Amino acid sequence: MIGVLNLANAVFRASLISSSRNISTYIHPLYFRATEVLLGEPLKKKKRLDPAIVRAREERKRKKLQKRIRQLEKHANHMKPIFEIDTLPELLQNEKRTCHLSVPLSEKEIERRKSLEKEWCKYKHSQWTKDLHVIKSIIKSQEIALKELKAVSKQLYKKAVEFDDLYMPYSVTGPVYTPSIKNYDSPDGEYIETTVKYIGE
Amino acid sequence: MMFKRILTLRTPNSLSFLTTSISSTSKVISRTLSEQIKQDIDIDIEKWDLLSAVCLERHPVITKSMPDIETRFHNMLQQMEFENSTISDFEMQKQNNKNRKTIQDFEDSWKEEFTNFKFAERISENEEDNAVMSLRRKLDKNLVLLVEQKIGDSNFWIPPQSIRKHRETMIQTAHRTVQELCGNNIKVKFYGNAPIGFYQYKYPKNLQERGQNGAKIFYFLAKYVSGDISPDIKHCWLDREELKKNLHPDLHKSLVKFLLPD
Repeated sequence: MIGVLNLANAVFRASLISSSRNISTYIHPLYFRATEVLLGEPLKKKKRLDPAIVRAREERKRKKLQKRIRQLEKHANHMKPIFEIDTLPELLQNEKRTCHLSVPLSEKEIERRKSLEKEWCKYKHSQWTKDLHVIKSIIKSQEIALKELKAVSKQLYKKAVEFDDLYMPYSVTGPVYTPSIKNYDSPDGEYIETTVKYIGE
Repeated sequence: MMFKRILTLRTPNSLSFLTTSISSTSKVISRTLSEQIKQDIDIDIEKWDLLSAVCLERHPVITKSMPDIETRFHNMLQQMEFENSTISDFEMQKQNNKNRKTIQDFEDSWKEEFTNFKFAERISENEEDNAVMSLRRKLDKNLVLLVEQKIGDSNFWIPPQSIRKHRETMIQTAHRTVQELCGNNIKVKFYGNAPIGFYQYKYPKNLQERGQNGAKIFYFLAKYVSGDISPDIKHCWLDREELKKNLHPDLHKSLVKFLLPD
């Protein structure tokens, strides 16, 4: 039966690739042929467990869970304290804490600060107008570049303005006050673990 | 050709919806083909060389020194913040005379630790660092990379540029430019696929007669991330003022349009 099927298969294939260079020995049932590779392995015999042991195991699991539930229920009414809130009334009571400024500022000092603030406003405003000019000039420059590119070739233009999510998550680490020290191995800081573990956590 | 043959084979015995879909696909194919032809014609008529150039910037590593007004305002803000803040627990402990001495000791030891720590210099005194080729020069300024390239018969100091090859987009040319002119050791990040600046110039008459009118250069902005340029490439990192001195004035004018001033 299988031989006949193979033959049918072979004939079918031969008709498909009549003019190909493949040489097939699958044409006649009496020709030699390779058996298919067996990649299986004999099934393992299942170990049979004693039903009593299984029952004992389940019982132990259940008891463990029940114990944990009982433990949690015992502390159900205990809320986890929030330290920030605890200290607040204490702080409110302690109103005697003073500011660093003990004596009120002199008239002269107040005047100085006011004038400095005005000066600062002017400085910032001029900075802002300068920034605006720069931004405008950059945008203009890019517009001109894109216009020129469009005039040269529509396809290149399309490629240039296509959305590319390669650029999107953008991160930068800004300038710092002093440059990094070469080959500096920063030491691990020392710390004392003070986190409290509460029951049921 | 192959696709067309399949189409002709399939159409006679297929249903109506198949034929419509096929006709639409063939339309799409013909459209893209015509576009490609048009693009090639565009460039041929113009007779301009297309170039991509990369303005590679090293952004400041350290902050700029504050101008006078900024320092004064900064001091005032700090003073105000200190005045308005309440006394901390530590300061209260210090005010209680009980263990004043130990607290003073603590403070002294912290101060000593701080003064003993040696920060890196803001301005390097090392001559090697201050050379034009070094990336560690002028840490508080934006630096632009210039390389020496041959244009026509003479050499110029310009941002790295190269001619677009067939089938390349402008940004691909820019990426290739960085690789070819700066080596593989350097890592850069581009700021977008769209060119940010443009500059064009005409070739001298004798070259124009040979076919090309001139060059259109599209500038892309990129930032230096890490790595180094191989030292055998003639290059320099210049800040804005030095850029003005070293570039051709026309080119400098078009670059300044999109470079952030100091």
